[in-house]
Amino acid sequence: MDCVGCGQCVIVCETDAIKVKGRAVITGDCIECGVCARYCPVKAIEVSV
Amino acid sequence: MNAVPKPRVIVIGSGLGGFLSAAKLVQSGYEVEVFERLPIIGGRFTNTKYRGFSLSTGALHMIPHGPAGPLAQMLKSLGVDVNIVRSDPMALIRLPAKKGDTDYTNGYKDILFRDFSKPLSATNKLKITVLTIVTKIFPPKKGSLEEWFTRYIKDEWLVKLADSFCGWSLSLKGADIYTKEAFMIFSNLYRYSGPGIPIGGCKAIIDALADIITLNGGIIHTGEDVSGILVKDGRAVGVTVNGSKYTCDIVISNIGHIETNRLCMNIKTSGEYLQYLEQLKKIKPSAGVKICLAADEPLIGHGGVLLTPYAKRINGINEVTNIDPNLAPPGKHLAVSHQCVQWNKLNELEHEIDLGLQDIEDIFAGKKYEILLIQSHSGEWPVNRSASGFDVNVKNATPVKNLFIVGDGAKGEGGIEVEGIALGVANTMKMIL
Repeated sequence: MDCVGCGQCVIVCETDAIKVKGRAVITGDCIECGVCARYCPVKAIEVSV
Repeated sequence: MNAVPKPRVIVIGSGLGGFLSAAKLVQSGYEVEVFERLPIIGGRFTNTKYRGFSLSTGALHMIPHGPAGPLAQMLKSLGVDVNIVRSDPMALIRLPAKKGDTDYTNGYKDILFRDFSKPLSATNKLKITVLTIVTKIFPPKKGSLEEWFTRYIKDEWLVKLADSFCGWSLSLKGADIYTKEAFMIFSNLYRYSGPGIPIGGCKAIIDALADIITLNGGIIHTGEDVSGILVKDGRAVGVTVNGSKYTCDIVISNIGHIETNRLCMNIKTSGEYLQYLEQLKKIKPSAGVKICLAADEPLIGHGGVLLTPYAKRINGINEVTNIDPNLAPPGKHLAVSHQCVQWNKLNELEHEIDLGLQDIEDIFAGKKYEILLIQSHSGEWPVNRSASGFDVNVKNATPVKNLFIVGDGAKGEGGIEVEGIALGVANTMKMIL
């Protein structure tokens, strides 16, 4: 599903690697821990760990 | 003597509607198991800590009718120990400083919500007084709120105020809310009065309900996704989770009619079911944007709502730390704006957010604040799964026996946001208990 921009991923990201303004954007600081994907309510994030 | 087994209930989703239902049923002797897909409970009605601030996951930390409304009454009947503090004033309306100005760039003045008729002409003031009495006896039944105002009063101020009020309370424009529903809401404002803030935010209510469920033997699973609802002979008989079957006597779903129907397996097509599917096509979730602001000094200075009818997009703002300072780090304040996003603007969401940010600059000109987070809600994670309880002819029951819908996809009539959820749960409990 598409990101709705709820910001849940920003809140749980421990490396501050996600910005949101209507839609989340994952930056280069992402360590692919996968926490954001677990908290995403619309399953918009896939992380290969 | 054989013990009579307790009826077994599975609740899909740990949002407010799911938890209110689970708490009521577990207290009534039912065996209850809740399945929540996310790692946290509460859905869009809880807090998450962000840089020391307790941001809500969706709802504002505000109960529309405070300690007297349907939600507070239901919480009291369940024995939930949460303090909901009445906002005083309940709301202020921000007007441009000079008559004739169309925005706040030349300053502003705030008036009490109850003085909303002040900007009207003498004739329209008289009309609104007469119509207030007449509509109590003969509530309007047809058309939108905007159409009603346009037909009877023809005043741009009232259209602006209706947009601001409906945008804040329902994330809808005055043109998108049925006048019948609007007048039920106005009536409830007189009956129960205005909003209140739960001390501890939304999470305090969710945590208290979770305690009731578990202390009475209920089970709450998190991170467990229900992938199907088992239907046999037209009756809900269980769910599947991670490939395992869980049987039950009743399924209560907190994820709305559309998602719930998608999960149902083996439904036999009948006339009733086909009619239901037609109704589901009419359901439209409402969308909105919240902008969370951090400040060292209060931005609005009271615990009520600041309605902003002359803003481009922002409908209203609250500042909950004026009532519960612990929702922010010591010495800080948390203000949250809300703006309705119309369905035809969803493709321009970033532009809509920019207009909201411009509004914030105008409304708080000269004040220091920081944008903490911009949260938008639409589609599968909306403001409300069903924009209005009047959109469709489906309530809390479904064509599948013993399958019920609660939450913001099946609110009770005339209830703003969580008040509507409480009314919907009350309707559901009447059918079950």
